[in-house]
Amino acid sequence: MNCHEARILLPAYGDGELDPLRTAEFERHLSACPECTAGVDAFHALRHKIRAYAPYHAAPADLRERIERMGSKQAEPPRPRRTFVAGLALGCAATVLAWLVTTALVDRIDGNAFERAVVATHVHATLGDRLVTVASSDRHTVKPWLTARLDYAPPVKDMASEGFPLLGGRIDTLDNRAVAALVYGYRDHRIGVFVRPHDGADAPVEMGVVRGFNVAHLRRSGMEWWAVSDLNAEQLRGLVTSLAKPE
Amino acid sequence: MRDSRINEVVLPHLNAAYNFARWLTRDAHDAQDVVQEACARALRYLPGYRGVNGRAWFLAIVRNAAFDWLARNRPGDVDGDDAVDEVPDASDKGPEALAMRKDEGEVLAAAIAALPPGFREVLILRELEELSYKEIARITDVPVGTVMSRLSRARALLSRVPTLVAIRGSAAGSGS
Repeated sequence: MNCHEARILLPAYGDGELDPLRTAEFERHLSACPECTAGVDAFHALRHKIRAYAPYHAAPADLRERIERMGSKQAEPPRPRRTFVAGLALGCAATVLAWLVTTALVDRIDGNAFERAVVATHVHATLGDRLVTVASSDRHTVKPWLTARLDYAPPVKDMASEGFPLLGGRIDTLDNRAVAALVYGYRDHRIGVFVRPHDGADAPVEMGVVRGFNVAHLRRSGMEWWAVSDLNAEQLRGLVTSLAKPE
Repeated sequence: MRDSRINEVVLPHLNAAYNFARWLTRDAHDAQDVVQEACARALRYLPGYRGVNGRAWFLAIVRNAAFDWLARNRPGDVDGDDAVDEVPDASDKGPEALAMRKDEGEVLAAAIAALPPGFREVLILRELEELSYKEIARITDVPVGTVMSRLSRARALLSRVPTLVAIRGSAAGSGS
């Protein structure tokens, strides 16, 4: 790869949109070219500035309330017109059909069942005010609180130095089992992290996308981490990797 | 059933929707109107939603609602999407307004707000919402190649901000 090609590919590289082969070629060129390396540094410096100075506007609370009301108004059941039994039968048939169609579709295109359960659990928790039961940025508060309610001791790290302050934790259920749910913040993003014991072999980070949320999964030293967020994949991967790193 | 779907598809992405609408309209109140209209539309379109990428689906609706709103209320804002060579002025008051800003951060934020909508939207979706080219292409309804070229143009414009600040700084220095 020469400098001309590298300059064309630079933005795609910086945006994480190059395939692995091109990425490797690009990085090989970088290691030999200070000029293109400076170009990549400038790209990241601009990104850093944009993210630091362009305010992220979170939805005001009253707007959120209005939208929530809009949803529940819409949910009022329609007046029944058919006879009860016929309606019930029709309703059941339609539900079963819809379920069959959506599960078949969703299985093909949208992650595996467990990933979906993880995302659904996280989304459900973000909707109400039950995201954290123990609200604390101190892992020495969060960890004992969780451990007292579980049959294992989940590792809890404070990641504030890396930009991910710990917001708290709660107990949730996955696979019908109580599991530790930690919540981290990043700007206005919320990151749900589920930690549970796992007796299989270690597995490197695997990324997935479910309903527009990024999902990261990692197994290390007998524990398993699942992280869900609308945060970008590259940062979520970094967070999970740091969380699983032995102290 | 419907209630739970709007909860699952729309509410988790409300911050993203508001942030996007806020940058498109550049006004807190107008952004609320746009998001509310977008939610009403989302409720109507929900039956056709295939459940793949809720955020991209909803942001596409927000974008359409925002551009409809702008076309109705501030038609001047949506003209002149292409062919921009100058560093945009902060607000509509010209370079003086830009030079009045205190520091580089403020100038940068103002310069982003002053980008033409077609450039501003791809930049916000990429840098603040951190979406992929494919998702941005879907939301803004242009090919991926156009997303890439608009992003490059927007970044090139913004990378000139420090120079502007430096020029203003030295001018102010020699003037005093």
